[in-house]
Amino acid sequence: MSVEKQKVLPLSLTGRVLTQNTLASYLWIIPLCLGFVLWELVTRLHLVPESNFPTFSAVLTVFMSSMQDPAFLLRIGYSFVNLVCGIVLAFSFALPLAFIAGSKSGMDLTLTPLVMLFGALPDLSFLPLLVLWFGPGSTAAIAMASLVAFFPIFFTVREGTKNIPRDLFHVTTIFKSGRFSTFTKMVLPAISPYMFSGLRLAYDFDWEIIIAIEIATQVAGIGSFIQGTVSAGSLETGLAGILGIGVVAVLVDRIFFGTLDSWARKWV
Amino acid sequence: MTPHVELDNVTKFYDTQERLHALHEVTFDIDQGQFVSIVGPSGCGKSTLLKIMAGLDEPSAGEVRLHGGPVKGPHSKISMVFQAFGLFPWRTVLENAAYGLEMRKIPKRDRNDIAKQYLDMVGLGGYEHMYPKQLSGGMKQRVGIARALAVEPEVVLMDEAFSAIDEVTADILREEVGEIHKETGKTFVLVTHNLSEALELSDKVVVLSARPAKVKKIFDVALERPRDRTHTLFVHMHKNILHLLKEELESTIVRHKLRGISELQSLDDMEGDARDPKKRGTRVAT
Repeated sequence: MSVEKQKVLPLSLTGRVLTQNTLASYLWIIPLCLGFVLWELVTRLHLVPESNFPTFSAVLTVFMSSMQDPAFLLRIGYSFVNLVCGIVLAFSFALPLAFIAGSKSGMDLTLTPLVMLFGALPDLSFLPLLVLWFGPGSTAAIAMASLVAFFPIFFTVREGTKNIPRDLFHVTTIFKSGRFSTFTKMVLPAISPYMFSGLRLAYDFDWEIIIAIEIATQVAGIGSFIQGTVSAGSLETGLAGILGIGVVAVLVDRIFFGTLDSWARKWV
Repeated sequence: MTPHVELDNVTKFYDTQERLHALHEVTFDIDQGQFVSIVGPSGCGKSTLLKIMAGLDEPSAGEVRLHGGPVKGPHSKISMVFQAFGLFPWRTVLENAAYGLEMRKIPKRDRNDIAKQYLDMVGLGGYEHMYPKQLSGGMKQRVGIARALAVEPEVVLMDEAFSAIDEVTADILREEVGEIHKETGKTFVLVTHNLSEALELSDKVVVLSARPAKVKKIFDVALERPRDRTHTLFVHMHKNILHLLKEELESTIVRHKLRGISELQSLDDMEGDARDPKKRGTRVAT
């Protein structure tokens, strides 16, 4: 890439790219809205049985009032906290293990097959055991969430560690960086794009698993709320709950992962 | 007077399945402020030698000395420039150049000032806040050079520092490194496979043999700088070194060929045995 060219047009270039990016980053709203309109039309025209398919506007009305209901927000918050605890727990185990597996081939040969073995087993099959050990509460949910989050974090970080160019280790050695500096100033940033993908996958998987656990064990949270309201016949409320998860998921994605992404994009 | 850097019977084995003899009693001296190039047939272990000088690797026997004291591990007076630049992509040009100073716990403002000074020296003033991905290969290597110089070393080691850069840019950069050498009076050691490059920059060219690498010959380049590539002495030395290297390379090829033939022969013997029922019979019997 020619740097001279960049130097001539720095403002206009970034300016143009920026506007394009801002516009493009909101384009996804259009198909989403189209989907909602289609939903409204199909239900309004009674193309589907009314009792099983509430209109979008009805769901939206319930959702708007639910958003002012502390109990509803608390349920979403409860699920979210379980999920975050699960990811943090998984992260604190997966990061060091994956780093060791990625940097020492002997450890990789011992550790990775074990992780793969557990990864191949359907995680949900452990749920009855976890409930037996921890009782049907958030402990079981967090344990399950961390089990699920472990694999994407482990494999992405291991891959990232393997891909650190040898030269970078030479650089840290030449300039006498201690172990701690080498890890924080070189290894962590070097593996961060991989780590971010791992966290994102873990976050996605964990929403699924948290909701599944809540439905299966009736742990307090938004999953059991959806289950309860739908089986009581209040489909609007159940769908409003799903909408609530969607809003939180998108917000976290944009704010947390978006920030991480935009940092990495500066230099990757 | 003791030489600045001494290589005293530096020997290196690698204990893989087959014991690999990389360096064999490599011995030569480097004077203060000299520019020395190390050339040798590819794969001979010249980069290993440089790594040992940098303290990135340990010799199996012998030692490297700086001012008469043995170099054990990375040394604060020895710095290095890498073939693939070795820049941290998440750091800006300035942060990369200041990395060595940061590791020496020099306050941010001071280290940025020093790094800027060296970035100016390599012609990167104004690019401080760019990321490596925005730079061309030649500019990346300038950052690498600034980073190496910023810690104010006495010895700068360069591992094929110009070979990942396009020829025209490399030529300009070589001239600048020559000037930096003249201005700073530091000792430079360059590992390269480019003979013109070695002759253009160096006071001394050390020619290594094929593996296990020994010092085959040392050329003192007593030519005026800037060097004229068409000068008879330049051309003559170039030809001589090239001849030496070719000789070495051919000897390894012959060695490989011989080994290949003997392997083929043993394979043939085995097949012969397998085909010959009598021999097979005896083998089973014994």
